[in-house]
Amino acid sequence: MLFDREQLEKIREAKKMWEEGPLQKALDRFGAAESPNKFYTPLDIEDFNFLEKVGFPGTPPFVAGRYPVSAISTAWGRGSAVGMGGALKRAGRYTGFGAPEDTRDFYKDVHAKGLRVGGPNLAFDLPTQTGRDSDDEFAEGEVGKVGVAVDTLRDFEIIYEAFIGDMDLDKIASNFTINGSTNIILAMYVALAEKRGIPLSKLRGTPQNDILKEFVARGTQIFPVRPSMRMTRDTITYCAEHLPGMNTISISGYHMREFGATRVQAIAFTIADAIAYVQLGVDAGLDVDKFVRQMTWLSFGGGMEVLKEVAVRRAARRVWAGVMQERFGSKDPRNWYYRELGGALVGYWTATKQRPVNNLTRAVLGAAFSAMIGEPPACEPPYDEPLGLGHSLEAQQLGEDAARIIMEEAKLCEVLDPFAGSYYIESLTDQMEKEIRAILERIDKMGGAVAAVESGWMKEEIMRSSYEYQQALESGREVQVGVNKYTGPEEIEVTTPRTLPYDLGRREDAEERQIANLKKVKKERDNEKVQVCLKRIKEAAQDESVNLIPLFVEAVKEYASEGEICGVLKEVFGEAI
Amino acid sequence: MDRGEKIRVLVAKAGMDGHDKGAILVATTLRDAGMETIYTGLRRTVEQIIATAIQEDVDVIGLSILSGAHLSVAQKILKRMKEEEIDDRLFVIGGVIPDEDIPKLKDMGVSAVFTQSSSFEEMVDFIRSNVKKEES
Repeated sequence: MLFDREQLEKIREAKKMWEEGPLQKALDRFGAAESPNKFYTPLDIEDFNFLEKVGFPGTPPFVAGRYPVSAISTAWGRGSAVGMGGALKRAGRYTGFGAPEDTRDFYKDVHAKGLRVGGPNLAFDLPTQTGRDSDDEFAEGEVGKVGVAVDTLRDFEIIYEAFIGDMDLDKIASNFTINGSTNIILAMYVALAEKRGIPLSKLRGTPQNDILKEFVARGTQIFPVRPSMRMTRDTITYCAEHLPGMNTISISGYHMREFGATRVQAIAFTIADAIAYVQLGVDAGLDVDKFVRQMTWLSFGGGMEVLKEVAVRRAARRVWAGVMQERFGSKDPRNWYYRELGGALVGYWTATKQRPVNNLTRAVLGAAFSAMIGEPPACEPPYDEPLGLGHSLEAQQLGEDAARIIMEEAKLCEVLDPFAGSYYIESLTDQMEKEIRAILERIDKMGGAVAAVESGWMKEEIMRSSYEYQQALESGREVQVGVNKYTGPEEIEVTTPRTLPYDLGRREDAEERQIANLKKVKKERDNEKVQVCLKRIKEAAQDESVNLIPLFVEAVKEYASEGEICGVLKEVFGEAI
Repeated sequence: MDRGEKIRVLVAKAGMDGHDKGAILVATTLRDAGMETIYTGLRRTVEQIIATAIQEDVDVIGLSILSGAHLSVAQKILKRMKEEEIDDRLFVIGGVIPDEDIPKLKDMGVSAVFTQSSSFEEMVDFIRSNVKKEES
């Protein structure tokens, strides 16, 4: 215990005197019934136990940080890119547009400028994300729009023409923002490596592959919940056996938060989803302390009340350390913390289209507080996020400079967990831990995250929160500067020039070109072999115990398309609604 | 046919865009404002949207779209509305729409475009003052 009883009694008495004396006097003077301010004292964390609740950096429960020396400080010290800090020097940012040759040329161009690339972080278009080919009737107007179109292995071969030699597949890490069709994309990566003669053990990368949150908040689910989870199990077991350097999943709270989940809901639902994924590996007979090493976390998303964001993240670390030990009997403390990319501490949803440069102020707040909880000082989103058409070079420059200023001028990453022991933050952390645990218990009673997603409960809960916030915004109870307040004629619109990094013109005819690409592939491949592969996939899909990925690898090598593979799977699994 | 006093609104998600937070919030807000709202659910085809609009005899078709495919989807819906002779109904769009596309959509015949800048109040007011109810 931090304080002895006698000391606490003294503080209690002093608090009473303060409340009845100076505080009451001030309230009387302003005619206020209660104070607009709060003040916290040791009385709010009477039972605070440092070793149990915080611990040293790199020791359980990892509230003060995952490592004894923060990864940000070491990586930044070496001068390599961290978070968004060096994004101008790397093309590892979320990229992908048009037909495969457009994305390839984008990367080639980046390389030609002498910029080192850690590997592509690929955004896929919606047809690819939802398991449809570019020539699908449904895909019309969507091909190459929000990411690059990938139909067959040929498309991967084209994209990765930008990654050869000292940037070949064994020297880079690829990130795929793909969920429902992860295993087909993964199969393409495996097939590409095999064709290039690169051992699978050298492949590194991360697919998003968090299907539960798709049903709740992101909307690219292809199959119903349970067969989708079977596909996730396949990723986990296949990677455990063949791709030890590949992450299997990037567990995401971000999208649920963006959808309107409260901060506690977002964390609790993410952890509930994570529990369901870990359970998949356990049920498949894998050693929890081995396969969990291949699971990463994206980000929880966030909101503008940065001190509360700090507390909820500290609470999340404590809850997860408990989950891994209590539920899964993990013995390896390295699995008691989640490896989270972090960032987006103020979220993207808080960015406004009105007076958009203000979004830089918002993002700087988030980045500063990220730095203080040991996350990268990622100044995101770039201020022009709500304007559409991608982030301008100017917005990226300002965001990256902000991160540098936070790191190198303000030196906010120097102290690990400067909030440890703060009466306010510690009491809020305790309270949020309780709230997160209460939601987890509720979900357990429903039968876990899979049931809570399948019944629609999780989505309904978030929608309710989202609607409540929207009403608060409409009524002015919650403020967005320049949106529902400070909008008078005396305010001025501030704009800066925007140079877009993409050649958007190339996106215009991407659909037509990609349909032609696909047609050519279909004409040149051995269609009989493709049909045999598809038939085998269909049969194997009916046996829940079979891992389908080796069959996908075979099929994509014959240039079966993603739409064709998902087509036969739908015949067995049904379709998500 | 007595369609009642209530304004009937179809809130539709077309194409493959899975972001339906906005659509659900709009549907809930319009319902709370006293309108009958029908939400299509995710990933509907233009044909499905038109069929539902006819079947439900709606006064307003509201399309929510954030994927960037708004120009082509709007064009298709407007064409089908004309063919089915329901082009006297309001057709409004909401979503992430770049400012430069708004005049293009209006020229096509879209009644109104609502973006992140729009308040829900604006949306409700627009629908109330522009729907032509037979009785009133």
